[in-house]
Amino acid sequence: MAKPPLSGIRVCDFTWVWAGPYCTLQLAYLGAEVIRIETRTRPCVTRMLPPWPDAVFDSLNKSGYFNQYNQNKKSLSLNFKHPEAKEAAWRLIKQSDVVINNFAAGVLDKMGFGYEEVKKVNPNAIMITLSGYGDTGPYSHYVSYGPAQVPLSGLSALTGYKGFPPMHAGFSYADPNAGVHGAFAVISALLHRAKTGEGQYIDMSQWECAMDVLAEGILEYTMNGREPERVGNRDPEMAPHGIFRCLDLPEKILDQIVDQWVSIICADDAEWARLARAIGKPELANDSRFATLAARKLNEDALEAIVTQWTATRKVADVVTALQAAGVAAGACADAKYLSEDPHLAEREYWVYREHPEVGKRQHCGIPWRMSGTPCEVKTAAPTLGQHTNEVMTGLLGYSAAEVEAMRAKGALD
Amino acid sequence: MAGALSSLKIVEVGEMVSAPYCSKLLADMGAEVVKIERPGAGDRARTRGPYPGDIVHPEKSGLFLYLNTNKRGVTLDITQPEGFAILEKLVADADILIHNVAPPDMDRVGLSYERMRRANPKLIMTSILPFGLTGPYRNYRAEDLTIWCAGGICVLNGAPQFPQLPPLKTAGQQAGHQGGAHGAVATVAAAFAQLRDGAGQHVEVSIQESVASIPEMTFEYWPYMKMLATRWGQKPLAPVAPMECKDGYIFLCCIEEHQWRNFVDIMGNPEWAEEEIFKDRLVRAVNWDALKVLLEPWVAQQTVLDLYQKAQARRVPFAPVSTMGDLLSSEHLKARGFFVEIAQPVAGTHLYPGAPLKYARTPWEIRRPAPTLGQHNAEVFGKQLGLSQARLDELKRKGVI
Repeated sequence: MAKPPLSGIRVCDFTWVWAGPYCTLQLAYLGAEVIRIETRTRPCVTRMLPPWPDAVFDSLNKSGYFNQYNQNKKSLSLNFKHPEAKEAAWRLIKQSDVVINNFAAGVLDKMGFGYEEVKKVNPNAIMITLSGYGDTGPYSHYVSYGPAQVPLSGLSALTGYKGFPPMHAGFSYADPNAGVHGAFAVISALLHRAKTGEGQYIDMSQWECAMDVLAEGILEYTMNGREPERVGNRDPEMAPHGIFRCLDLPEKILDQIVDQWVSIICADDAEWARLARAIGKPELANDSRFATLAARKLNEDALEAIVTQWTATRKVADVVTALQAAGVAAGACADAKYLSEDPHLAEREYWVYREHPEVGKRQHCGIPWRMSGTPCEVKTAAPTLGQHTNEVMTGLLGYSAAEVEAMRAKGALD
Repeated sequence: MAGALSSLKIVEVGEMVSAPYCSKLLADMGAEVVKIERPGAGDRARTRGPYPGDIVHPEKSGLFLYLNTNKRGVTLDITQPEGFAILEKLVADADILIHNVAPPDMDRVGLSYERMRRANPKLIMTSILPFGLTGPYRNYRAEDLTIWCAGGICVLNGAPQFPQLPPLKTAGQQAGHQGGAHGAVATVAAAFAQLRDGAGQHVEVSIQESVASIPEMTFEYWPYMKMLATRWGQKPLAPVAPMECKDGYIFLCCIEEHQWRNFVDIMGNPEWAEEEIFKDRLVRAVNWDALKVLLEPWVAQQTVLDLYQKAQARRVPFAPVSTMGDLLSSEHLKARGFFVEIAQPVAGTHLYPGAPLKYARTPWEIRRPAPTLGQHNAEVFGKQLGLSQARLDELKRKGVI
């Protein structure tokens, strides 16, 4: 069996919360040996956030959040208040190809693990810092958390219903966006190193990565000096382009959810004609209010009302099936339950179920690509805190069992 | 110094965002990319703004100009057998083919890994597809919003106080960018494996799965707690929300307890902050409605920049709700040189978003602007593939190029 693409690559992982772990998750998916350095004295924030089984927080190992983004990784517990723990981290850095962190600029330097020091013991290492603001510039020392990056990046100012204030994206989008760009940067640097022998340092700003996926909004300003208007779900070049109400569920899920929605888009006049036929109003295709994109944009409220009239009495799955059969882009506005039961994702074996010592087998998101020659696989569930301390210390790092016990007794492995 | 990926030769058959963004990421790090567009209309992104001066023109689309930097461009109709044969010639000379030709169209033109590897046995072919290449939705039509919804993200955003409004999309074309970025990760990993194994392979990327991979903790609420996150996510902590100041919006963000305590201190330690219903971050989230109305009057008296800097001085991660103008005038981004000026003969000179990262050794750089339609036909088909002028004229007459 062919090995995954990054097998043989070792990553010393100082990351925490989400942007950094999402970066190292990609590398772990690709077969790199990712060893997280953690400590019980200040556990990763996501180990202390829900969801937890039965909504009970009684362990640092039960968070669905942590367990999602740390699959395929190892956990080494080290308490840097003890010099011996720092020495162990240095032994790992010496034997790693990649060193990753997502602290604010300068934090890792203060801990003594800055690139200048890393380079001394491992000149060919690739090191990346995925900080909120980047390593340079007047705000480089500012603290940044995922949710605040969405408004900082400009994404909130662009997102929202027409006439309403700026909105969030609903999740900390800049974090995984930075993580995936960071993984791309690291592997590109590995390619360069494989050809030249040279390692290097990579300075990455989460803020800048987020602006790289917002060019349309930014260019409206640099090209025309205008702040783009917030237009909800609409699009300047397509109509209808929206999310439409379907039949409510017969009963509420958890006394909470009844409303169901479907996305419907017509990219051109021919697609609009197909939609008009599919909803039983073929005459609307040539109706002067709707026949051209310009007309549909002008009468978009009426257009959306007509589409809603049809969707509102139908189930999401029925709308999607009927419209896709007619050649119209329609899809469920899926929530977690819908996704979890989606026959398409099931048939593609997207979901991952791995045994975890404290939460058992749970449904987790899997790898979004398939590689025919070097298949990738989630082999292990996320590690419990310090799960691999003994294995890594006595194996890779060359400590005797007695040395490890002595360190543990002192609290150096907390 | 050359870019980290300067040894890679790439052929792109890409439209709109996903495959073009993927190959842009590689091109900006030095890879040589030849982009294939349909003769006549070209990439559909050319029909989308923003346009300088609002003049609709296929060579002036801001979206296209941004997504296709550092590429050479040719026109080629791969639906005609002669066009497909030229694609095979181009691929024979390349390391990687990146495309987002939809599966029904792949079937129609005969684009498959099996066939392309006959042209180049060491080829890496990356297919970035809305729902992937297998499964019941394989042939579904999809635009960006379709996938942002189908990946489970749209349902997380909206105004919970106005349930009659639909779930809300994130601005821009985020599904395409995520498909492109995840595709770039898998593509360079395949190139790395090729150095080791010498073999090419097919990399298939599902944009739906890329989107489904990034919903923070929200998906796991279902398998762990049988709860569903909707509209603004299942916000477990507070305050984490935008709020209006005198002169714009700020984003309040207290993830850790010491951040909240510092914020309370900045507010002058009001008595209500000691109430039991605000005692920790989880309880504050449960009682957010009450907390919000207490915070609003105080925040409304502040200016954005002043509160931002006061909070940051106490290590509290607030941020402004930046407008585009704020971004372009940011002293921080100026000092880092983030925005780059790119001159293109038809569209003129404008500032664009720049490097997502800074390498110490290998540069990220703009070596050339996005191509005009068919700009490099003579160079690529003539010089590189050695087709004669007579043959090029003939292909042009047939509408192949």
